[in-house]
Amino acid sequence: MNPLSLDQPWGRGYIANQTHRFVDGGPLVAEASNLYLPRGLGRSYGDVCVNDGGTLLHTFRRDRLLAFDDVHGVLTCEAGASLANIAEAMLPRGWFLPVVPGTRYVTVGGAIANDVHGKNHHRWGTFGKSVLGMKLRRSDWGSIDLKPSDTLFRNTVAGLGLTGLIEEVTLQLDCVRGPGIEQDTKLFGGDGTIDSYLALDAASKDWEYTVGWIDTLDPNLRGVFFRGRHCDGPDEWLAPQPARLTMPMDAPRWLLGAWSAKTFNALYYRAQALRTATRETIPLWQFFFPLDAVNAWNRAYGKRGFVQYQFVVPTAAARETVPKILTHLREAHVASYLAVIKTFGDMPSPGLMSFPISGTTVALDIPAPDEKDRRALDRADAMVADVGGRVYPAKDARMSAAMFQRFFPQWRELEAARDPAISSSFWRRVTASQDLQDE
Amino acid sequence: MNKTNVVVVGATSAVAQAAIRIWAQRGMELTLIARNAGELERVAADARVRGALTVATVVGDLTNTTFITETVRAMNVPRVALVAYGSLTDSARADSDAAYLVSELTANFTSAAVWAQSLAERMAADSANGGTIAVISSVAGDRGRGSNHGYGAAKAGLTAFCSGLRSRMAARRVHVVTVKPGFIDSPMTAHIAKKGALWATPDAIAKGIVNAIDKKRDVVYLPGFWRLVMLIITHVPESIFKRMKF
Repeated sequence: MNPLSLDQPWGRGYIANQTHRFVDGGPLVAEASNLYLPRGLGRSYGDVCVNDGGTLLHTFRRDRLLAFDDVHGVLTCEAGASLANIAEAMLPRGWFLPVVPGTRYVTVGGAIANDVHGKNHHRWGTFGKSVLGMKLRRSDWGSIDLKPSDTLFRNTVAGLGLTGLIEEVTLQLDCVRGPGIEQDTKLFGGDGTIDSYLALDAASKDWEYTVGWIDTLDPNLRGVFFRGRHCDGPDEWLAPQPARLTMPMDAPRWLLGAWSAKTFNALYYRAQALRTATRETIPLWQFFFPLDAVNAWNRAYGKRGFVQYQFVVPTAAARETVPKILTHLREAHVASYLAVIKTFGDMPSPGLMSFPISGTTVALDIPAPDEKDRRALDRADAMVADVGGRVYPAKDARMSAAMFQRFFPQWRELEAARDPAISSSFWRRVTASQDLQDE
Repeated sequence: MNKTNVVVVGATSAVAQAAIRIWAQRGMELTLIARNAGELERVAADARVRGALTVATVVGDLTNTTFITETVRAMNVPRVALVAYGSLTDSARADSDAAYLVSELTANFTSAAVWAQSLAERMAADSANGGTIAVISSVAGDRGRGSNHGYGAAKAGLTAFCSGLRSRMAARRVHVVTVKPGFIDSPMTAHIAKKGALWATPDAIAKGIVNAIDKKRDVVYLPGFWRLVMLIITHVPESIFKRMKF
């Protein structure tokens, strides 16, 4: 599988001067004048997968499955293997990845480096929890095997690719009943709070997967709640339908304002409300990866791209703070399509810098933010920080260094574990200015 | 189609790896041949995990005539074979380095022709079943371009060889598929930074190859639009073509 672009992150809109290298199994050589950044399929939204002035070390061609124990479901593969690649090979045998994000077009290495989460965080935790071992290549120490009890393992999970090149990974797969998902759909909200969402979520703890879609542009905060569990299905569902639609061009600018976002959201809600069946069995591909059905859907946000703003606030603060932040963004006229709301479970994350904490997270797509949008997001950052929450680096393209360091005070530990030959535009952005303040 | 032995020459190339995955998922018996032992072992492991019934590997210099004939003699009779290796010739270096030009022509034409010939004879000798050989040539063989003359000439030779071999073998139940891919986004072309709409992924090309073998097509352009592109390019008058820089 090839990335859509070798240069641009998924949110696009970057002008970066980068050279390209493809991982070939050789040693990682440090060059004084050049910093590397390992990169998978470039599905991170912002500059965690950008390395302006340096070299991108592309891993997507190292995608071989190396060994599989079909009694215990333990798979060893190269880190450039995509989750799509693994799921398609393993589902016919009754195995699936225990954690998948909203797209299957990410590499295993990328899923570890960002310690991604899915709709089952409340039951399973993050992707890193299914990693049994890794082979890491560093410019200073060469190739090393890591197990979950190692400090460097803990720093590499959610380590943003900075601790070395992840070469091989051993994963615990999950035994599933079949290629179907039993999905239950419920409407919530309409009273300007997220109380009915929280109640639905609390009542759905025994469902394997839960997620909500929320119309953040509606002052009444109405939304749609989806919950699902694995079930059997016809054999045709074992393989995904190939994407039949490709976004053919960049959407024009006039289509991307608050007005059309409002219309889109209202239409989406109405379509969900009008559906007659609220319980149905669908192919798991459709449940987990609805947007993968459209190739290059990021072009829908136009040439200037978009940012995704994903924050989490702790459980105790969620009820009050989530509506407060969403109201703030709406009043600042920040356009957003398809905001997603999810409540994380309370199991500790395996990575030093893992994003999930026990609490409620909301992710908003914001087309090409202007100065005004950015100021509104900065204020939202402060509201998140005030209650002990944080913003997700994998989606970020804009948070200030000061805010990042408030969200993740443990960042210095990652900086200490960083391979001296590796860096990223994101890392330089969120760590540099604080160093200046320290002096 | 069970217990079909599929032989892949140049098994570590990007297109070959993608084709091997399709055959592995179908549960075929695979014989994989390549020069780089370490990489070949990874490709073989991948095929095993994905469901290949058996995977045998042979490591050697693909351009060595003795290695070719010995390997083909020793293997189980294949029903399907894919000759999938190549080297993108650096035209500027070929201008002044004769030994390099010879080695490139050997890699892209001479040795590939010997593989096709040897595999065809081996398949034909098993008269009960016959077989199909797919050889990866290139659109570059349809007309020699100034930027690519050594590579283009070798592929032109390979295309002509396959056409003749197809005809020679038609009565002996061996079918030859000439595959002419356009630009492929693979390690062979990694140095070319700017890639536009004309570029295809190894996965897409491999799907087209396996499909062409299944359907016993004669000549396939992959993706199909290259047939039209090359029709136009081959009809540009030479007086104009010689001044074009591409």
